[in-house]
Amino acid sequence: MWIDLTKVYFVVLAWVVMSSSARVGADPQALEFFEKQVRPILAEHCYECHGPEKQKAGLRWDHISFVLEGGDLGPEIVPGDPAASRMIDAIGYANEDLKMPPTGKLDEAQVATLTKWVAMGAPWPDEPAPAGPRGRQRFDVQRMKHEHWAWAPLHAGEPPAMKDANWAKQAIDRFIEAKLQAAELHHAPPADRRTLIRRVYFDLIGLPPTPQQVEAFVHDSSPNAYEKVVDGLLASPHFGERWARHWMDSMRYAETYGHEFDYPIPHAWRYRDYLIRAFNADVPYDQFVLEHIAGDRLTKPRRHPEQQFNESVIATGWWYLHEQTHAPTDVRQHEADRIDNQIDALGKTFLGLTLACARCHDHKFDAISTRDYYALAGFMQSSRQHEAQLDPGRKIHAAVKQLHALRREADAAIHSVEMPGKQAQNVSSDRVVFEDFNGDDYGPWFTTGAAFGDAPTQGGQWDRNVESPAPMRPGLADSGRLSPKLQGTLRSPTFTITHPRIHIRCAGRGKVRLVIDGYTMAHFNGLLFRGLDQKIDRPDKLGWTTLDGDLHNHLGHTAYLEFTDDSDDCLAIDQIVFSKDGKGLAADEPLHLSADPSLDTERFNEFRRQVEAVDATIPQPLRVLAMTDGTGEDSYVHIRGSYKSVGDSAPRRHLEAFVGTAGIRDEHGSGRLTLARQMIDPSITPLMPRVMVNRVWHHLFGVGLVPSIDNFGKLGQPPTHPELLDYLASEFVHDDWSIKRMIRRMVLSNTYRMASKSADDHAEQVDPNNQLLHRMRIRRLEGEAIRDAILTCSGRLDDRLYGPSVEVHLTDFMTGRGRPKSGPLDGDGRRSIYTKIRRNFLPPMMLAFDMPIPFNAMGRRSVSNVPAQALILMNDPFVVQQAERWAKRVLAVKGRTIEQRLADLYETAYARRPTADETRRAIDFLNAQLAGYNRPAEAIDHDAAVWADLCHVLFNVKEFFFIH
Amino acid sequence: MSHHCGRFQPAPMTRRQMLRQCGAGFGSVALAAMLGHEAFASTGRTPFAPSRPHFTPRARNVIFLYMDGGPSQVDTFDPKPTLKKYDGKPFPVKAEPTQFDNNGNTLASPWKFHRYGQSGTPVSDLFPHVGRCIDDIAVIRSMTSDFSEHTNANYFLHTGVGLQGRPSMGAWVGYGLGSECRNLPSFVVLNGGLIPPGGLDNFNSGFLPATYQGSIFKAGAMPVANIKPTEPSAAAQQRKLALMHDLDAGVADQFGRVDAIESAIANYELAFRMQMAVPNLMDLSDESKPTQRLYGLESSNKPTQIFGRQCLIARRLVERGVRFIELTCPSVGHDRWDQHGNLKDGHEKNAVAVDQPIAGLLRDLKQRGLLDETLIVWSGEFGRTPFAQGKNGRDHNPFGYSMWLAGGGVRGGVVHGATDDLGYKAVEHVRTIHDLHATILHLLGIDHEKLTVRFGGLDQRLTTIDHEAHVIHDVIA
Repeated sequence: MWIDLTKVYFVVLAWVVMSSSARVGADPQALEFFEKQVRPILAEHCYECHGPEKQKAGLRWDHISFVLEGGDLGPEIVPGDPAASRMIDAIGYANEDLKMPPTGKLDEAQVATLTKWVAMGAPWPDEPAPAGPRGRQRFDVQRMKHEHWAWAPLHAGEPPAMKDANWAKQAIDRFIEAKLQAAELHHAPPADRRTLIRRVYFDLIGLPPTPQQVEAFVHDSSPNAYEKVVDGLLASPHFGERWARHWMDSMRYAETYGHEFDYPIPHAWRYRDYLIRAFNADVPYDQFVLEHIAGDRLTKPRRHPEQQFNESVIATGWWYLHEQTHAPTDVRQHEADRIDNQIDALGKTFLGLTLACARCHDHKFDAISTRDYYALAGFMQSSRQHEAQLDPGRKIHAAVKQLHALRREADAAIHSVEMPGKQAQNVSSDRVVFEDFNGDDYGPWFTTGAAFGDAPTQGGQWDRNVESPAPMRPGLADSGRLSPKLQGTLRSPTFTITHPRIHIRCAGRGKVRLVIDGYTMAHFNGLLFRGLDQKIDRPDKLGWTTLDGDLHNHLGHTAYLEFTDDSDDCLAIDQIVFSKDGKGLAADEPLHLSADPSLDTERFNEFRRQVEAVDATIPQPLRVLAMTDGTGEDSYVHIRGSYKSVGDSAPRRHLEAFVGTAGIRDEHGSGRLTLARQMIDPSITPLMPRVMVNRVWHHLFGVGLVPSIDNFGKLGQPPTHPELLDYLASEFVHDDWSIKRMIRRMVLSNTYRMASKSADDHAEQVDPNNQLLHRMRIRRLEGEAIRDAILTCSGRLDDRLYGPSVEVHLTDFMTGRGRPKSGPLDGDGRRSIYTKIRRNFLPPMMLAFDMPIPFNAMGRRSVSNVPAQALILMNDPFVVQQAERWAKRVLAVKGRTIEQRLADLYETAYARRPTADETRRAIDFLNAQLAGYNRPAEAIDHDAAVWADLCHVLFNVKEFFFIH
Repeated sequence: MSHHCGRFQPAPMTRRQMLRQCGAGFGSVALAAMLGHEAFASTGRTPFAPSRPHFTPRARNVIFLYMDGGPSQVDTFDPKPTLKKYDGKPFPVKAEPTQFDNNGNTLASPWKFHRYGQSGTPVSDLFPHVGRCIDDIAVIRSMTSDFSEHTNANYFLHTGVGLQGRPSMGAWVGYGLGSECRNLPSFVVLNGGLIPPGGLDNFNSGFLPATYQGSIFKAGAMPVANIKPTEPSAAAQQRKLALMHDLDAGVADQFGRVDAIESAIANYELAFRMQMAVPNLMDLSDESKPTQRLYGLESSNKPTQIFGRQCLIARRLVERGVRFIELTCPSVGHDRWDQHGNLKDGHEKNAVAVDQPIAGLLRDLKQRGLLDETLIVWSGEFGRTPFAQGKNGRDHNPFGYSMWLAGGGVRGGVVHGATDDLGYKAVEHVRTIHDLHATILHLLGIDHEKLTVRFGGLDQRLTTIDHEAHVIHDVIA
């Protein structure tokens, strides 16, 4: 042996064995060859990226021990065997995915030298391994977890005791006051009532108080005057609108897919309405999360209080609010990117973790391994995009029960029939039967909606869809067995595409499509996926529908078949065959079997009358975007994030830091419900309540206790008040995860009620960023709140809740493919949350005021200050229009003096009365404008134009779009 | 804590710092530099706005001539005589998957190539005017993209990532260098008519503050949204602004801490200056006839006039200190440079629209001494296949295509890299979009690994964290 193994302590035994057999000893000639010819090539072309400075792909090339252990991809060489050596493969430039060096191929002589060196057994002098990082290191989740506060269990400590509990009565105030006292600071005095009511109105419902509401509060001398205001706001239906919009930022909410043609995401707005209802109903946050992760899997879903439809499933729509392109030339990459976006939003929103950082390598700073990433990816890979059908009033549910009862009665009168032998196919490698539906149940198939029932048709069942009494053809997946009016979907297990043709023997009307690698855009644009999305229209006759077209380009990909009956027709599938050539398929035959003359026609006519009466009660279902389970599939680790080089299998599970390394086992389904239950168990996932209370704090105080609200990892910012954070998180859990009561607790604190002016200048010097909260923060309103406030002033606000979105108003600057019809300038007066969010045509006013571009989770908006904001408030036709409207509104009130009208404007806009100086300036302004327009001075009490000018100015004064 | 890549910087700035800096900014309007001179000069660099370059810049401004749709390399700057041999015959090597999967036979270029200038670099008959400027141009024949789809490729070219939501390179430049102009944005998109697939998000600021997003200037007298006052007279608006100013002063007193309010007030002043500056910018009456002629403003071809005007405005923006100017193509009554069919007709129309204006811009900048400090970048989002799509079109080809650089710090008259004999894949000095971005930043004096912003827990950069990027020194003088 020419290497001192005691120095190379980390080298695995495997290579020691290998090296002793394959590598040559310390032949001086071999070493000279290495030193003179090999090492210079390595030094020039490899060390820069794989040396002491950088260890790309976890690899170093400056010592043989590193080379033999290898990096992320495994050992670099097999001494003595160039053909089996990864490095020789890489420098040969024959492997598309691995070409080294990346800047250009080595010349032929250099390639030959390195090949020869490996063939010689890779001689290397006996020298100590150089110092510095070794490249690949075992990722120690447990160690990293113990090194960072955010992973620790909740610690519910007592609030600090106060000597003077006059101000710090509540727990929140005691935590805040303790830190202020430690810094020898005083809290600011309480805000005056006008300031406070404007603040709490915008924070809780996103709208300003009316002058009447302001005056009532100002003059309410009862000790609980403020509590009454808060409770009223928490009960307001507008509360849900305000808090839903916050949540939508995290869900990258949009109603189109973006990219070239900006295709629509159907029914996305129903998810928005779900959010508004959920926040208004104060759905406990653990339930809310459960519904988001696995609302489709709940055996007892939450139901809409009046309409009784399944609310829980609507939450799962968020998974699919990502962008999507049509016709990806690499559909597998498209899927990987989509899942990455889902994981990113999942991690940041629910866990405050940047999980997506672990896509290509173990997280550099947090206890998240690449295996964790792909363990989570498996949940998404095992799930499918779905259009769920809801049942308002549970009428479909009731009808199905009745139809089942009738069917049982009718079936009892039917004699069992033999399976009419499905024509045996010549099974060979050219032709395989994928499914014949001859079983007692659907096996690994998935049904949703009521239409396809829970099993294929069986012998001894009545065929209700023919006139004369007849038995049903057995062995069909039939959406009309109970009633043609029922709708539903049938999906196959996931399979690998092995043949260029898929033949489906079927009858009736409906749709079939092949979903390859989760790609669902083909119905918008068939490019590259031609022939894989078809209508079936073959009433009463079993015949073949063939998916071929572009299928031959997708051999080896994974896919599933989806059959949809979304009309009052039936769809029956008899058999599915994969073939190379389309030959040897059975002939067409009638769907229905011939009538059985022995049956009592009268009796069956009565059955028919009864089922048809039930049919008439079946309404159209309500459609929503949702997730549904597919075949359980574990993902593989993608080395360096590329699906083209897969590593080990990564069994589905929650993060190792929370649950260890054992995977959940669910072969039939995704297993999301297990994940969801672990996520909402604070003893397993303490981050869940911490992240949410911090989000709420952020929205009420302007900055979170952890300022980086989507990142609780090491690269986020540490909590300013860690004890308070954990206290609130514990209280949140104990108080049934009630968001409303958490908000109430916060806004009733004296901390929240402080003025924004410091008690003394000293505080600004000691705590210039106000991290200790020595005063309330001054905050700019969000674009939505500014626009809604403008509509409130002008009286144009239409405060209806819910419904399809209002099309965005298009300016000349909003052009591009997929341009829709423009919506009204004033958005029909609806609140901003109801403006349609088209990814390629985002509302300019919202964008200018920092509404996030919906591409991934963005819990914390930036607060920019750009001239586009000023230009909008100065010159945008919407703002000018609303100013005119406001002026007319205020002039329409009879019998008011000019001063009284000015007071009306100020109370409406700023919740206060103008000062004498402001009144004087406004009157001077009105007079000057009148003179400028050559109008008589007497017109001051009725000239709409000059009053509109004044209203316009009031929209632009900074007090309008700041709260303090 | 071990920093593997050494790219991590201290926590992001506070909101107050940000408000302060952006307060001086222009709506896509970066004035970080203005502040930089005043504020940062004393305090040193902050992670938010490195107001000083990392090393001596070769260029101060960039004009990006974005050839929407993907011009064909073998028909413009990369002659391939071998294609003649296979013309009309099956393409001799295996083709990668294409966007339309309708691959036809090999299609030789219908245009002749001529050698121009002292360098003798060949240019096709599509670009006779640009050809005569070739000694100022460095052609890169080995550019590659990761995407065959327009949208992904556009996002990739503009932002370094093939998905929506990242900052555009113009935004990065504004973020890195700030602006030298007090009245105009640091990143202006002169929209010739076509908005590329992927929409306005190609020009967005992503996770950078909105301050840095591209401002779209349309062709025509009123190029910027909401730039025109709605009042019947300037005096009427000024009285309104005066009242606003007075009332704002009271607000600042009332609110206590006033920095946020003061920034918002300053922001209005900038908006007002912009309102004044834009009409002046767009008024070309002070340009001489010969200058207008040079740019093709007297052309009988309408698209040439439109693009010529945009090129001339680009020069005026450079003179005003705007950092990054992107030009999008005019509509030519045919598709963008995206000839899936009718290659000859479509490429000719697109070329005629831009050839003379681009040459005019190069010459005009040169004669005014501005070319040395202005980097010109000409590129599509990918090239086109050397085999036909259908009979007479070409499909998208990201595997090897041509683009060029000129001006500020660029070595003129060189050709860098090569595609294979068929003009299909880059084989020599294979270059990526990340290399292009690194090179552009380098010429501006920015080290692409040091221009970072914290987002999603990482110090993000234009060249991305997980990809290699190498400055293309061969094209630098």
